Amino acid sequence: MNNKRKTLMITSVLVMAVIWGFIALEKGTDLFKGLDLIISILIIIIGVIALIGAFKRDKEKKKGLTLEDELSRLIKYKSGYYAYLWSMYMWLFIFLLKDKFPNVETMLGGGILLSATISYIAKYVVKKKLNE
Amino acid sequence: MNNRIKELRAKYNLTQLDLAKKVDVRRETIVFLEKGKYNPSLKLAYDISKVFKLPIEEIFLF
Repeated sequence: MNNKRKTLMITSVLVMAVIWGFIALEKGTDLFKGLDLIISILIIIIGVIALIGAFKRDKEKKKGLTLEDELSRLIKYKSGYYAYLWSMYMWLFIFLLKDKFPNVETMLGGGILLSATISYIAKYVVKKKLNE
Repeated sequence: MNNRIKELRAKYNLTQLDLAKKVDVRRETIVFLEKGKYNPSLKLAYDISKVFKLPIEEIFLF
C-alpha cells in the first residue's frame, strides 16, 4: 500500500473514531439502543467492507494486475443501475415511515447508510447472477 | 459461447494470473471467461488470440 493511501485510510478511521466518540459522549448508552444500534452496526459493516475492498485492490496492484477492466466496469454499471433503482424504493419507504424516526437527521443518515449497503448488495447480486 | 482458454492455458503452462497480466485484465475476468459466464469484447478476444498465437475462431467456439 502506498503511503498516500495509507495516510488517507488512517486519517478516515481516526476522523470516524473522533466523530463517534463525540456522538457516544452526547448520547451515552443510548447509542447502543434501537435505531442508533442498527445505524452503528451498519457503519461498522460498511467500513469493514470498504477496508477489505481496499486491501484486496492493493494486493492485486502489487501482483501487477490492472484494477479495472471491461468486466469490472460492466459489473459496476449494472450494479449501479440496480442500486439506484432499489434505493428509490427504499427512500419511498423511508418517507412513508417518516413518523417512526426520532428526527430528520437519523432518517437521512440512516437512508444514506442504507443506500451504501444497497450498493454493496447490488454488486454482490450482479456478480452472483454472472455465475449462474 | 464456449472457449478453449483453460485448455490452451494448460498447454502454454500459464496460470490464470499470468494470462490476466498478459492481456491486462483482472484474474476474475479470466475465471468468468473460462466458465463461459462472460463473452469478451473483440479487443480482449484479439489479445487472448495473440497470446495463444491462434485465430479467434479457434479459441472461441460459436
